[in-house]
Amino acid sequence: MLRAIALVLSLAVVPAAAQDCPGLDGARKVESERYVLSYRTQPAKLAVGQHFSVELMICPRNGQPAPDGVHVDGFMPEHNHGMNYRAATKPAEGGRYLAEGLMFHMSGKWDFIFEVRGGGKTDRMTHSVVLQ
Amino acid sequence: MSLVRLPFTTHHSRLVLIAGAALALLAPWGVAQSPTGFVLDFSEAELRMILQHGPWPPPPATDPSNRVSGRPDAIALGERLFFEPRLSTSNTVSCATCHDPEKNWTDGRKVAAGLAEVDRNTPTLLNARTQRWFGWDGSNDNLWSQSTRPLLDPREMGANERHVARLVRQDAELACRYEKAFGARPSDDDEAVLVDVGKALAAFQETLVSGRTPFDAFRDALAKGDREAATRYPMDAQRGLRIFVGQGNCSLCHFGPNFTNGEFHEVGIPVFKKTGGVDWGRYEGIKKLRASRFNLLGKYNDDAARAPGTSTRYVALQPQTFEQFKVPTLRNVALTAPYMHNGHLATLPDVVRHYSTIDPTLLHVAHVYFDPLVADAVPTDTLLKPLKLTPLQISYMVAFLETLTDGNPPRKPAPAAACP
Repeated sequence: MLRAIALVLSLAVVPAAAQDCPGLDGARKVESERYVLSYRTQPAKLAVGQHFSVELMICPRNGQPAPDGVHVDGFMPEHNHGMNYRAATKPAEGGRYLAEGLMFHMSGKWDFIFEVRGGGKTDRMTHSVVLQ
Repeated sequence: MSLVRLPFTTHHSRLVLIAGAALALLAPWGVAQSPTGFVLDFSEAELRMILQHGPWPPPPATDPSNRVSGRPDAIALGERLFFEPRLSTSNTVSCATCHDPEKNWTDGRKVAAGLAEVDRNTPTLLNARTQRWFGWDGSNDNLWSQSTRPLLDPREMGANERHVARLVRQDAELACRYEKAFGARPSDDDEAVLVDVGKALAAFQETLVSGRTPFDAFRDALAKGDREAATRYPMDAQRGLRIFVGQGNCSLCHFGPNFTNGEFHEVGIPVFKKTGGVDWGRYEGIKKLRASRFNLLGKYNDDAARAPGTSTRYVALQPQTFEQFKVPTLRNVALTAPYMHNGHLATLPDVVRHYSTIDPTLLHVAHVYFDPLVADAVPTDTLLKPLKLTPLQISYMVAFLETLTDGNPPRKPAPAAACP
């Protein structure tokens, strides 16, 4: 009985495991050893030189610490330059995060860079998109 | 480069071979009579890039940060103020001194001169309303604050808030026009009147839009599949356009209908000022922007939600902004020599040759001058490489750039009707 109570308590304080974490509808997913991150942009279709925001959901894998911060950035690997703007990320409802102020100012391949902090470490995930 | 031969008669239609999306766009032409002429076999990617440079002109829009944007009374006041030399302390310099409508709203000088010579070239005012940032360094995020800047610069018009406000209050004609535009007489608040002068000047400048060009006719012909119209576009210009959207990578920065992505880049132009020191461009521009009480995050933004201030809120002050200057529009570029932020290049062929022979190792050199430790920390942008164009290719590029000229006659100042 005590063991069962302990299990219930531990489920209550430990973040949902990745398999129990649905992510965002219609979102892209990227993964690291500790986290599964889903994201979608607003607006959904990005345009050169137009600001957009990114909505994120971060699911820790089993036993991994909950994220205590996330940073979103963009980089053009073929040009070796990033954005001219620094996005600000804040927690949003339902365990989501919202990054605002991004802009891709050239057409071509951009890498989204997600840095998730948790448990004193940072996981870095990237996802490429091509802007035409 | 291959050509698409357009048929003189229907039996020549087999000669028409156009790749990718162009095939779909141009297929109906295969059975049509058409004038003699050719259209290059632009690839799907090339066509996509070409079509992004239009349509032109952009739809009318007002500036939500300026409560008199688009209002005829404010436009009339702004036009009056634009040509008003009494706004300067010497009564000799007006906005039109440097932004001369006869010279495509520039002055033809390497660097501008008001009461004294300054460090930068005069940019055209055409299509200013489509911009996100204003000035070569983007130190203003709206057209009305940018319009007050030269009024207050000691080397340009040398005025102060009190001088400007007093003129508007005391001159019966200007005071009358101010009341019609803003719904009240000029107040005792000098700064508020200065900002309103900026907003009237902005309302006028928002009306300065370049006209349609031979390129626009070609671009729209491609979009509509109107081959007969497309064949009127000169072949040399088509060849230059192909370099522009392809090998040259020019359209990465000179992007969209106004041929600018509105952002900033370092392109290897010397940044040492004649008066001494380095022109830090965007780096200093961002610092000035943040310090300005006239930016879109401040109280003079007439949009209560401060919605247009997104770029100002999130712009990043980072080392790579050293020596960056704004990507200018290329519309009417053949009329705005000399070129670059300090007029360093005299002609369009000079500009193309600059990009043809650019030495990437000379980029970011002033960073070392600023701080030897900084240069290593600055990512080396690998976009700019020498294009190594032949003299013929350079001539094609120039031919293309010349087709961005609208051919409109210079705008004449409106007759000075009395108010009311």
